[in-house]
Amino acid sequence: MIDRLLDAACATVDGADALWRREDRTAVAFESGRLKTAGVTEETGVNLRVVAGGRMGVAGTTAAAPDLVELIARARASAQLGEALALAFPPAAPLPSVPTHFDGAANASLDDLIRMGRTLVERLAREGCQVNVAIERELGETAVGNSAGARGGYRSSAVAVTAEVVRIAADDVLTIYDQYLGADLPGDGDIEALVRSIETRLEPALTVVAPPKGALPVVFTPAGLAAVLLPLEQALSGRTVLQGSSPLAGKIGERAFDARFSVSDDPLAPGRPASRPIDDECVPSAPAPLVERGVVRRFVYDLETAALANARSTGHGRRGIFGKPHIRYTNLIVGDGPRPTPDAQGRGSRDVGRALGGGLLEGIADGLLVDDLIGVGQGNVVGGGFGHPVGLAYRVERGEITGRVKDAAVAGNVYDLLKQIAGFGTDGRWLGSRWSPSLRLEGVSVARR
Amino acid sequence: MKDRLAAALKVSRADYTEIRVERTWSSAVTFRGRRLETATVSEDQGGFVRALNRGGGWGITSFTSLDALPTMVARANQLSRAVRLDRPIRLADTVPQVADAALDLDGDVRGIPLAEKKQLLEAYNGAMLAVSNAVVDTQASYRDDVSEVWYVNSEGTALALLRPEVTLSGTAIARRNGTIEKGLESIGLRKGWRSVHGLEDRFRVVAQRAVDLLDAPRVQGGTYPVILDNELAGVFVHEAFGHLSEADFVYENPQAREMMTLGRRFGKPVLNVGDNGAAPGLRGTLPFDDEGTPTQDTPLIQDGILVGRLHSRETAAALGERPTGNARAISFRHPPIVRMTNTYIAPGPAGGALEDLIKDVKLGVYACGAFGGQTMLENFSFTAAWGHMIRDGHVAELVKDVVLAGNLFQTLDRIDHIAGDFTWNQMGGGCGKGGQFPLPVTEGAPHVRIEQALVGGDV
Repeated sequence: MIDRLLDAACATVDGADALWRREDRTAVAFESGRLKTAGVTEETGVNLRVVAGGRMGVAGTTAAAPDLVELIARARASAQLGEALALAFPPAAPLPSVPTHFDGAANASLDDLIRMGRTLVERLAREGCQVNVAIERELGETAVGNSAGARGGYRSSAVAVTAEVVRIAADDVLTIYDQYLGADLPGDGDIEALVRSIETRLEPALTVVAPPKGALPVVFTPAGLAAVLLPLEQALSGRTVLQGSSPLAGKIGERAFDARFSVSDDPLAPGRPASRPIDDECVPSAPAPLVERGVVRRFVYDLETAALANARSTGHGRRGIFGKPHIRYTNLIVGDGPRPTPDAQGRGSRDVGRALGGGLLEGIADGLLVDDLIGVGQGNVVGGGFGHPVGLAYRVERGEITGRVKDAAVAGNVYDLLKQIAGFGTDGRWLGSRWSPSLRLEGVSVARR
Repeated sequence: MKDRLAAALKVSRADYTEIRVERTWSSAVTFRGRRLETATVSEDQGGFVRALNRGGGWGITSFTSLDALPTMVARANQLSRAVRLDRPIRLADTVPQVADAALDLDGDVRGIPLAEKKQLLEAYNGAMLAVSNAVVDTQASYRDDVSEVWYVNSEGTALALLRPEVTLSGTAIARRNGTIEKGLESIGLRKGWRSVHGLEDRFRVVAQRAVDLLDAPRVQGGTYPVILDNELAGVFVHEAFGHLSEADFVYENPQAREMMTLGRRFGKPVLNVGDNGAAPGLRGTLPFDDEGTPTQDTPLIQDGILVGRLHSRETAAALGERPTGNARAISFRHPPIVRMTNTYIAPGPAGGALEDLIKDVKLGVYACGAFGGQTMLENFSFTAAWGHMIRDGHVAELVKDVVLAGNLFQTLDRIDHIAGDFTWNQMGGGCGKGGQFPLPVTEGAPHVRIEQALVGGDV
């Protein structure tokens, strides 16, 4: 398909690249402990980008037997309006080796997925609580190519197991959620870690205590860190830098954060669903250090932003069936080390859930442990300021969790807070496609009603 | 197409089968700064089958290749049978509907050259950039689509629907020294090309506001009387209350059902809330939902008392209530789930406008526009686009970073004054739930006063 499409396209345009992708998903959902739904999804599509007359255009289709002539014509029409861009399609190059397809995941039957869900439902069941579990297995096949002769392709697998315990007592709604995400099926240890992670957060949440108030030490769990890391993810994107709205623009080589703080993106992390040997624009994958020991090292680029910024693509191009490629991180690794061990890279850290706070609670006279904030991503994210009510948070007094707090909000600016990090937890883990430990930050504003 | 679907239905061995096929034509133009980012035309198509058997669960298939339709009907049946249920899933009875319902395309976007759409958006984007040198970046997008949807089920419903939609959005980023602020305009209409002209001023206003916010102080965090403008009040009712009124939240959960018992007092008598999928001409408006149930105006809170909720056929049967036409799916890739349509706070019986709500407020916050809102069941957070302090009964200085946080029950009960200046806010974007985003919805409200609410900001 890719070869035929590129051959046909190249007869009429200056250059082109294309992606073909097929995704088959199998999903089962347990609602309130009952298996309710089983489903399959099959989706195939092609995305074509051309450079014609020095201008870029894109087109995509989900048609089963796409009319290639019509697809090329649409891409050319899109290019007629497109801005002039000296897009450099990368030549053929050797690709790194990374396992992306796991037989365990690929061969799991519907019954296997149902059994796994039942086990989880049974393990999490408790009086007065509703348990929702969803398991999804995705098998993919990707082929990419361009007019410079580069080709790539790989099969992939991914399994997501999400579990949620909801407890409603009068008007108090408590929701505790966690997810296993991996390229292979979870092992018994992973399921155990998921159960423990939920139980560890459920028990102390049953007691509600008054929130503290003031500028206080706050421990952000790997899940709670989303609000703190989102501004950095945006600021380290080459697109934000190009547009002049990144607070980190022009700071390559400068120290902007605590001297122990590092961020990197690793498309070759074994066992992760986002890992792949080549990006969606034919750039071979390679790990990218973004912040090293507090110093800004690099921004991530796709082909388009690289062309505009006079930089090289870092291999972070991602494309859907419709629209043009855009920048996307693969596996974001945040912390001060030690880096995830090979085992923890493939699977969730086995230590997850053993103790909340990753050892960072000691010495906190009065503060918070934040596991979830409401409204992350709203507002003026890129500036670094945040302010959110807590979704799930606990009060820490004299180094110990004394209960769950409600009706409290935390606020701060991540660029100020991350200049001095009071501690990195020992509880580093994967959460979705991000690996991080808990972080303890000082002087976070805590407000209460 | 209807015949093709009818033939596929006939061979289904499931007790209940439904098929939905969609073909969507769309075009999109986006600008970032002065750069045109994309100008594309796309065609997306696919099908969805859902099957149910006595003693079984839902079997669902979705696919892009329509040639696979017969296979996918058979697979949905097998999947349904693979799910064993002790308590069966029942569907509330509905009258089978047969209809061809084409909404007014209002200037069919499919006939307009992409270059004209680019020109239109370029003008709106240019209006934002021209406001000030402090506007360092913009994002502007235009998107239109026309969806043809065919829906059949084994009870005799057969529908052919035509739905247009056009959305415009603009974000202006203003920057001075280290400070960055944004202004956001978003318009979403279930209309066509004729409806999207002459909107330059709306884009200019948001860019100017982003610039003004650079010099505005952060709101001092604390508890205040808060007046919500029409837009934020609409977002509030959708996020904070609307999601709890979706019956899939309560139907399997006895504790949740108790919390949402019909007859419970939710607010002062001034409060009336509803959801109206049949309101003419709005973005959340549909003649039928994605189970073929006609839409309607459903009262949710009347005179402060909870009186109704939003249903699919499954949740209605489980609770012994009637379907309300709120089972919706964003596309053939998803099953229908209980969703809102056009959700509103009705105008207060006493009428009035902003001045009447603030005249006796000594110190308060006027929270305007919405950058977003999220709920975690009884807790919510809204980020206003901007705000003003209210001092001695008057709107005073501009403030920024106005984040409202609170508990639904307390906050609804603290709504003590609702003005009469009702408007529908036809915004773009949409609602997200269960991995289905963005679903076109509309929210409507007058100005609303909350006696006391927590406003985040500098502590």
